[in-house]
Amino acid sequence: MNRRTAIIHVVTMLGGALSAPTLLAMKRWDGHTPSEGFSVEFNLTESQKMIVEEVAEMIIPKTATPGAKDVGVPAFIVMMLQDCYKAPEHQSFAEGLGSLEKKQFLNLSAEQKMAVLKQAEMDSVEEMKAYQAQQTKMGDNEDREQMTAQAKGLPFWRLMKELTMLGYFTSEQGIMSSFEYVPIPGKLEMIKMKPNQKSFAY
Amino acid sequence: MNLNLKSDKAHTFDAIVVGSGMTGGMAAKELTERGLQVLMIERGREVKHIEDYDTAMKGPWEFEHRGRVSIHSAEEYWANNRFGTLANEETGPFFTDDKKNPYIEKRPFDWIRAYHTGGKSMHWGRQSYRMNKKDFEANAKEGIAIDWPIRYEDLEPWYTHVEKFVGISGQAEGWEVLPDGHYLPAMPMSAPERYFRETMMKKLNRPVTIGRVANLTKPQPWHTDLGRASCQYRSKCARGCPYGGYYSSLSGSIPAARKTNKLTVLHDTIASEIIYDEKTQKAKGVRVINQHTMGVEEFFAKIVFLNAGSMNSAALLLNSTSSRFPTGLGNDSDQVGRNIMDHHLGVGANATVEGFENDYIFGQRPNALYIPRFRNWGSDKKDFLRGYGYQGGASKSDWKRGITMNGFGASFKEDMSRPGTWTMGFGGFGEILPDPSNRMFLDKDKKDKWGIPMIVFDAAFGENELAMRKDMMASAVEMLEVAGFKNVAGFNRQDTHPGLGIHDMGTARMGKDPKTSVLNKFNQVHTCKNVFVTDGAAMVSSSCVNPSITYMAMTARAADHAVKELKKQNL
Repeated sequence: MNRRTAIIHVVTMLGGALSAPTLLAMKRWDGHTPSEGFSVEFNLTESQKMIVEEVAEMIIPKTATPGAKDVGVPAFIVMMLQDCYKAPEHQSFAEGLGSLEKKQFLNLSAEQKMAVLKQAEMDSVEEMKAYQAQQTKMGDNEDREQMTAQAKGLPFWRLMKELTMLGYFTSEQGIMSSFEYVPIPGKLEMIKMKPNQKSFAY
Repeated sequence: MNLNLKSDKAHTFDAIVVGSGMTGGMAAKELTERGLQVLMIERGREVKHIEDYDTAMKGPWEFEHRGRVSIHSAEEYWANNRFGTLANEETGPFFTDDKKNPYIEKRPFDWIRAYHTGGKSMHWGRQSYRMNKKDFEANAKEGIAIDWPIRYEDLEPWYTHVEKFVGISGQAEGWEVLPDGHYLPAMPMSAPERYFRETMMKKLNRPVTIGRVANLTKPQPWHTDLGRASCQYRSKCARGCPYGGYYSSLSGSIPAARKTNKLTVLHDTIASEIIYDEKTQKAKGVRVINQHTMGVEEFFAKIVFLNAGSMNSAALLLNSTSSRFPTGLGNDSDQVGRNIMDHHLGVGANATVEGFENDYIFGQRPNALYIPRFRNWGSDKKDFLRGYGYQGGASKSDWKRGITMNGFGASFKEDMSRPGTWTMGFGGFGEILPDPSNRMFLDKDKKDKWGIPMIVFDAAFGENELAMRKDMMASAVEMLEVAGFKNVAGFNRQDTHPGLGIHDMGTARMGKDPKTSVLNKFNQVHTCKNVFVTDGAAMVSSSCVNPSITYMAMTARAADHAVKELKKQNL
């Protein structure tokens, strides 16, 4: 049963009606304007946007399945930085981009690009230590990453990687091509893994 | 105010219930089923079961910020945001905008509210445990605060009554610390959880059980009669369940009350005062203000049930002044608003589990493991009073593990599409002792936009809670280490305050003596017996178990008593 059929099934079964937003098509991030009453000074130059695209695609490249660019991750990253992060992250993200611009990232060879990102990854491991990030459990069912507040924004690499993965693995195409999507499991079973078992997504 | 006779009649009911949440719904059900015409007053907007669960069936990609909270929402929902991601686009519509409904913090208080039909029953954690016999005796034995006027045996039949109606999945275990109730079939444990249960019993003699949760594993006829169906294991309960798979006022008690044709519900209507009749020495009704039009009206009834949520029920008492009650209705003892309790949380430990590589789970279990209190129980003795329980369990890590691990590119992407290793973790829920200096009161000068005095909170954790938190972390670490798990890491959030457990309670406590308590053993205001307070405000101590099922049992018991007293013309 696909999701749409499943929704109609639920509606029919219970004689109710789900409201229109449920049936809306997926949103796109391009041309996004931050929500009303909330304005931020965070914008990227065209070349910076190209770097974001390139780095996102290197984190989640197109293979037999879509890559980060195919599912709109670069625009998602910019939107998320505008809407969900404050000045310190805007600054650290911009600094990270600036340092890649200085290295003429877009003009480097594939091997050189890879080496630059590996270095960024190694540096961020060190930088993240200050945050003493911890997984905590809150209440009955919420997991939360707890961090010690820092004046400096989260490292560029951490932001890039987290937002690329979030954008990709929660996108419709990303989910459908990566996981076994089960919006309505209908049962709970402790099972054994099949060969090449994909993760279930719900 | 002049009301003509006709509208007077239209404004008169047998009972008024203030609030439509966990206990308001139960009060309305129990009172209407006993033949009373009930008016339910809800301050927030109407949410219709199923129809208004706008986010229930959305895919992850249909939420603009993908489960994250925007800065804009974080500012509007500033108190909610202290908990976590409550104000995201999945569940935000069922929490209350703190900016539009501000409160004052003399000392920080994390007040999470849900102003709409169903209140917090929309998104409660659904964990349902009975308090045990010793919970009701501890205050008296230890000389803390005052004694409960009731014992476990008084509530026992009412626990049974509400458990059956609600539908709770769980495992009867025969442990004194966690009395068994009436359960639908238990949800299964995963392989590492079964190993953990055995190991804890063998090596530490600590019991572990599957959570007792208000999700239907096997609906009974009285559930399906209300249109409720089996849990679908989506674990998206907090968005509202179109199947009625979990219990809320919306899926359970309100539909049951409506079936009697004796329930009237007013939305967007704020109860501002209880009207006290000096002649009869009883409450005669409730004054209300319309959220939007600001219009004031009065409604009349023989009995009034306060189920507005502990803090708002107390605020309503405090705001109901008269020449008999200059400091608030029923407040001769000066205990209204005092003794705020909650469960302190945000303490525990996580670990990674080696092995069980071939085990996996199909479906999302809306439930966890439960480790009942073991501290200061039996022969155990610590340098703090009372104890705590843990909730948590094992899960197989998903793509999110990749955020903090090194790696990127094609093989990393491929790897992220497959489940990773198991992780296991627990967070505690600790009992908070009653302390009269932990309180809320009404600000003399500052009023909200409806002209009602604003609530001021002045509460903090005491030494007992802080000592308990250290032990809560240490014991969680110990258990995960004893189980042989790796990368065990304890956590103890330092940025939490009372309220964050969303189990706020105690502000109109029951007791035997009107000099030291607000309510009698049937939740009646000592000095105004036709007013009942049956939400968490009535609690005399907090136990460490999730309280909703206890509130519901108290409510059903009080409603039964109220109707009997009405029949005897005692009210």
